[in-house]
Amino acid sequence: MIENFLTGTATLFGDPFTIGVFVFGVLGGMLFGAIPGVSMLTLAAILLPFTADLSPAQGVMLFAVIYCTGTYGGAITAILFNIPGAPENAPTAFDGYPMTQKGMAGKAVGAAVLCSAIGGVASALVMMSATEPLAQWAIMNIGPPEIFALVFFGLAVASSVGGRTIWKGWLSVLLGLIVATIGQDPVGGINRYNFGFTDLAAGIAFVPAILGFFAVSEIFVQAEKRVGGTYSAPKFNVDFPTFFELWAHKIAVVRSIFVGFFCGILPGIGATLAAFMGYGEAVRWSKNKEEFGKGKLEGVISSETANNAATGAAMIPLLALGLPGGALTAMMVAVFQMHDLEPGPLVFYNSPDLIWVVFSAMFYANLSILFIGLIETKTILYLLKIPFQFLAPMILMLASIGAYIGRGLVLDVIVMFVAGIVGFLLRRSGYSIPGIVLGLILGKIGEQNFAQGMQMVHYDLVTYFSRPICTILIVAGVLTLLKSLHSAFYAQPSQS
Amino acid sequence: MPVVLLRAHAFANEEKAMGKHRTTDVIEAVIWLVIAIVFFAVSFEFNQPIEIYKFGATGWPRVILALMAAVAFGNFYHSYKKGAQAQTGRVGANEEAEAVEYKSFSQYLQTGWLLILPLFYAISLKPVGFYCGTPFFIALIMVAWGERRIAYILYSTLIIYGLLLLLFMVVLNAPLPQGNMSPFYDVSAFILRMKTQLDQLF
Repeated sequence: MIENFLTGTATLFGDPFTIGVFVFGVLGGMLFGAIPGVSMLTLAAILLPFTADLSPAQGVMLFAVIYCTGTYGGAITAILFNIPGAPENAPTAFDGYPMTQKGMAGKAVGAAVLCSAIGGVASALVMMSATEPLAQWAIMNIGPPEIFALVFFGLAVASSVGGRTIWKGWLSVLLGLIVATIGQDPVGGINRYNFGFTDLAAGIAFVPAILGFFAVSEIFVQAEKRVGGTYSAPKFNVDFPTFFELWAHKIAVVRSIFVGFFCGILPGIGATLAAFMGYGEAVRWSKNKEEFGKGKLEGVISSETANNAATGAAMIPLLALGLPGGALTAMMVAVFQMHDLEPGPLVFYNSPDLIWVVFSAMFYANLSILFIGLIETKTILYLLKIPFQFLAPMILMLASIGAYIGRGLVLDVIVMFVAGIVGFLLRRSGYSIPGIVLGLILGKIGEQNFAQGMQMVHYDLVTYFSRPICTILIVAGVLTLLKSLHSAFYAQPSQS
Repeated sequence: MPVVLLRAHAFANEEKAMGKHRTTDVIEAVIWLVIAIVFFAVSFEFNQPIEIYKFGATGWPRVILALMAAVAFGNFYHSYKKGAQAQTGRVGANEEAEAVEYKSFSQYLQTGWLLILPLFYAISLKPVGFYCGTPFFIALIMVAWGERRIAYILYSTLIIYGLLLLLFMVVLNAPLPQGNMSPFYDVSAFILRMKTQLDQLF
């Protein structure tokens, strides 16, 4: 492995053009991840046609690097403005934004930089050492029932985070799930809930909905505070977390690496659920649960470690089995196909150079997060000094363009602003915006895998529950729901 | 008159003798139930059997709707028994959500205007297009946010519009809506022609 890694490193840094592609990917991913309304997916979609002019190794490496650094980039806006650059950064905002409001933005961003790098590097190391056995394990043990079970468990965890009561948390997730049913059903392709709009046959796109629920609703919340005279600009501070502050959370980091890696390896699940589950597990194991959501450093650490730990893991099903786990890895398949290659087990034997250049690049990209991230952080924090009446139209415009360019539909911009208004009203009433978004993202995956799982076991629940991983996850989900139900009936109202 | 309306609203929000719920809790419960009922009724439009799947296209959404109705009752029961306060141990709950108190009817109007304005912009994108509608929208948003310095609005609008055009039109070459109504379409076409000529120069 070390020899292959060194060969990959030599290939990566032996050619100036390849270095240029690597640096472009690192900076582009960070920048597009950090601009509200534009994500790493936008950059990847724009770059896709140009990869035909690159070598296969350069093309795939570019996308892998964008994936690593873009996942980190979205944390910046989540922490500074409560606007996650991508859904996987949503839990980061739970504690990151309250930290900004308390004048601890530097600590939150510093922790996000460091933990993203740690999560990503750890994930890259495991990916390098165990891609093939892990892929074999996954193919033997993970099928639609397990994926549905993980979605169920993830939604059960998500419903317990964000809403003012557990009922509101559940209603938020259910709203996301029902919105996800708009469009064609994943089994028979029958149109559902399109209300006569042909554009809705393709369903509600994630990006406009996410932009609306997070970015636009946040602008509305700030606008309302301004109208009510309670608006105050976030406090500016560039103090980084100390070594001892970070060392105190070492267990949270290790736990989030495991959680993130497990979620990342499963096709279609990826970094979003990883971040939610990393955060949820941090809350579950904490002795001071009530401090979460009010500006606790551990919240930022858990979420950012988990989502970056998922990036390396997401490459395993792609490279070893040819199964893309999300939109960006699906684009990587397109890069392979442009060069007459197919990702899958044969790639390891036919193109080992390509594989090790990609592995090495991901390792160094995650290290770059640490160095470039720490350098850029102090600059990025100055965004807090821009007056919000200047920043608000800028964010709204970026979000509008981000919503439009995905599918070229004005309907998506309308959906985004409607989601913004709905999100604003739901937030006022104490509902969970991340719960809605996670329901929306996982709804279709859950339904599809439930249907496939049921067909696999011929609707026999005994066979369904004879699969150990599936059973464990479903039981864990049910226990989470029962615990929430118990607290719903017996917990006392908060005194705050 | 608006003050009377506000007082009536405040009175309606006071705790009832029977339970701790407020009028808004009843409205919330009704909205969730209406969503569940409407979506359930519409599901009959696509209630077709799928040969390879026993539960059909309606199975999954109907289970979600049934759960939604049940949880909506639970939500109302909670507010009836315990009021609007947050449950203990809730994580990431938005505590600032209800912090803003409206003191006058004009504040309601101002917030309503801030919410509706972007929606008008989105709806106008098809006929007016991005290139013509955007500068006005940027300026209007700043006015709605309370900015009154004309020069500041003008320069900020030009800077933001210029940056957006530079990033999306020149660097990324992203296709943006041109509008389909004259003279907006003609203006958009003129801007795009300028951009093409600029490309040819380099």
